[in-house]
Amino acid sequence: MAQSIVVGACPHDCPDTCSILTTVEDGKAIAVRGNPDHPFTRGRLCVKVNNYEERVYSDQRVLYPLRRVGPKGSGSFARISWDEAVGEIAARWKAIIAESGAEAILPYSYLGTQGIINGLNVGDPLFNKLGASVSERTFCDSASCTAYMMTIGHTPGVDPESFVHSKYIILWACNTLSTNSHHWPFIEKAKKSGAKLVVIDPVRTRTAALADWHLQIRPGTDCALALAMIHVVIKEQLIDRDYIDKHTIGFDELAARASTYTPEFAASETGIPAEDIIRLAREYATTPPAVVRIGVAVERHAGGGQTVRAIACLPALIGAWKHVGGGLLQLPIWAFPVNWPNLMRPDLQPAKMRVINTWRLGAALTGDLPEGPPIRSLFVYNANPMAMVTEQDRLERGLAREDLFTVVSEHFLTDTAKYADIVLPATTQLEQKDIMFSWGHLYLSYNNPAIAPLGEAVSNTELFRRLAAAMDIDDPFFLRSDDEMIEASMDWTSPALRGISLEQLKKTGFARLSLQHPDEWAPHRDGNFPTPSGKCEFKSSIAEGGNFVVPLFRQGYGADQAGDPVDPLPHYIAPNESPMTAPAEAERYPLSLISPKSHALLNSNYGNLPAQQVLAGEQQMVVLHPEDAASRGIVAGAPIRVFNHRGSFEAFATLSADVMRGVVVAPAGYWHRSNRKGATVHAVTPPAYADLGRAPTFSDVLVQVATA
Amino acid sequence: MPYVVTDLCAGCRYTECVSVCPVECFHIDDSMTYIDPTNCIDCGGCVPVCPVGAIKAAHKLPADKLEWIEINRRRAAETPVVTSRLPPLPGADERKAMILR
Repeated sequence: MAQSIVVGACPHDCPDTCSILTTVEDGKAIAVRGNPDHPFTRGRLCVKVNNYEERVYSDQRVLYPLRRVGPKGSGSFARISWDEAVGEIAARWKAIIAESGAEAILPYSYLGTQGIINGLNVGDPLFNKLGASVSERTFCDSASCTAYMMTIGHTPGVDPESFVHSKYIILWACNTLSTNSHHWPFIEKAKKSGAKLVVIDPVRTRTAALADWHLQIRPGTDCALALAMIHVVIKEQLIDRDYIDKHTIGFDELAARASTYTPEFAASETGIPAEDIIRLAREYATTPPAVVRIGVAVERHAGGGQTVRAIACLPALIGAWKHVGGGLLQLPIWAFPVNWPNLMRPDLQPAKMRVINTWRLGAALTGDLPEGPPIRSLFVYNANPMAMVTEQDRLERGLAREDLFTVVSEHFLTDTAKYADIVLPATTQLEQKDIMFSWGHLYLSYNNPAIAPLGEAVSNTELFRRLAAAMDIDDPFFLRSDDEMIEASMDWTSPALRGISLEQLKKTGFARLSLQHPDEWAPHRDGNFPTPSGKCEFKSSIAEGGNFVVPLFRQGYGADQAGDPVDPLPHYIAPNESPMTAPAEAERYPLSLISPKSHALLNSNYGNLPAQQVLAGEQQMVVLHPEDAASRGIVAGAPIRVFNHRGSFEAFATLSADVMRGVVVAPAGYWHRSNRKGATVHAVTPPAYADLGRAPTFSDVLVQVATA
Repeated sequence: MPYVVTDLCAGCRYTECVSVCPVECFHIDDSMTYIDPTNCIDCGGCVPVCPVGAIKAAHKLPADKLEWIEINRRRAAETPVVTSRLPPLPGADERKAMILR
């Protein structure tokens, strides 16, 4: 028996990007485990990935190209060759381009694989070159990215490892133990050294249960809390005047603005007592180093962008950035010198492109388009929109169009792939090569392939090489090998990569970026914010240009931005749908639904796999407060229907007082095929955008629940 | 449905599991460790580090070990948390050699 250990990295859209050791025996992966030498992974994976080899060898894998043989959505397919598959795609696309123009083709993808060469941007050069419609992918952190740019710039912020030095830690809309669990040991170490841990969340999550103080907040009202904290620290002179004078702009305007956001106002919005808000602000401002870690959930409502604006003002007000372990953490991805233009190739774009946002896929496929030709072909990879996109009913109608030529590259016949005309087999992370950034720590990773591809599965890079050739593109850029792409994917001359060689990285699997040690890292001790002014902009200069999505999320396309006006000072935008803001609607649909990440699923990944189904349940999970259940005659385990004017889905009720009264929790990611009556939570969620960056608002929803 | 320590641990008690667990869910008595199912985050990090393979996912337990789900729950409530690795019990290495033979 020839046994070897191969070092790789987790492919998932998660902040932790773990270093994975795969045990390979006679060419077969028999086990995966977390790399004990990696300072953030620390020898363990998680509930999603700890049996990754079962995903790789699942009997549900798609291993050969398939062509539809039954009606749309029937799931009836027959095996074809790669040549036939690619030939048919190219022939259909050429005809569509000739008849309707390339904008009739729409790519659709996100981070089903997060590797730098196989992930977010792998298809961008081809679709940019063809002049297809631009897929504006604002799934995650888009409001935050825009808000960050407007306030403190694209800074990595606090090193998550520096949290061991923090004395006051606020986890804001972040369920660390379920969605960022490798950060926990650093938080726990700080706690043991006397740090106070505060969790702000509508739900008493596993993480909130371990906090010193859990503030249960009404969904979508976090900005009111942040603005009231600003109000208190300014009013009570708990600010760092010297830091403000040297490293910020717009303080006087911010102070004037915040004067109206009293603790009493915030109490009426958030449901948190005013005295608790005052106490939180005082403790936060007077317990250095103080740090805030925001989760993605904080942006998924009408005022999500301004929420991040307000929170991002707080550390500069109290001078938190002066301390190691003080400041704000959200997306350390900005520390990685990724060669984004080389990955996206915006230079290949025609001058004018049509932009279609990912949250409007259902609308786009059913003819609701701002301009241009109808969508005649949809190309899906790294994504499963039927499970993860709002207006599920409408999307299903669109995908069911007999005249829509849909191609899906996948591991499994997902709810989306079921509607494909052609399904292409994609490799898993153990079968492909990649280099990985992280948006939750500061280590660059390398994923060595552990095994040969199964069946005829190919990596996304190989998929796009084949498609480019079939579309008669002879530019050698499109023929580059994976090694050439990896070499070109990073700016190796950047100081952040000093001392890191690709050869060494392949052997170790990871390397810490060449930044200061976590015991010394204080990137804004002396200001140096990557904003136009170089300062923390309480009053944003960029806001003048209106609302936008960072080009990274739109194939590098910078034109035709949303452009709607943005108030340059942080301000409160109440939820679109709450009993307070929509009282008439709340008469019929009185409960606020939030759709967080599941503990055992990673978006829709693993929704079909037995081990994770044991933990997450095969059926859509819905959690209600026992009093909300009792008043509706619902008992634990009872079949229920969750509905509003957009649609409905069914589930079995879970009752828990961990959820606020008036709130319903329904995590996304469950698959239709295993769910009662098909539809899942996105049957009721809205297509509305948040205020900035076209982030989704799927935790800003009113519903009613009844026995089914 | 979290992870479960089975009777393979009894008499060895290597506590390698404790060093990898991020949430302090291991409890201990004179003979073995137990996992508190309310704290366990299902990460499975403890499984590969156990020198005798005593830890299993609850849903993968063979029928004759299913009782250990309840035993872990009960004993975790009755015994103290262990937060750092301890020396194994006397005779652990000999016992391990027997188990792995």
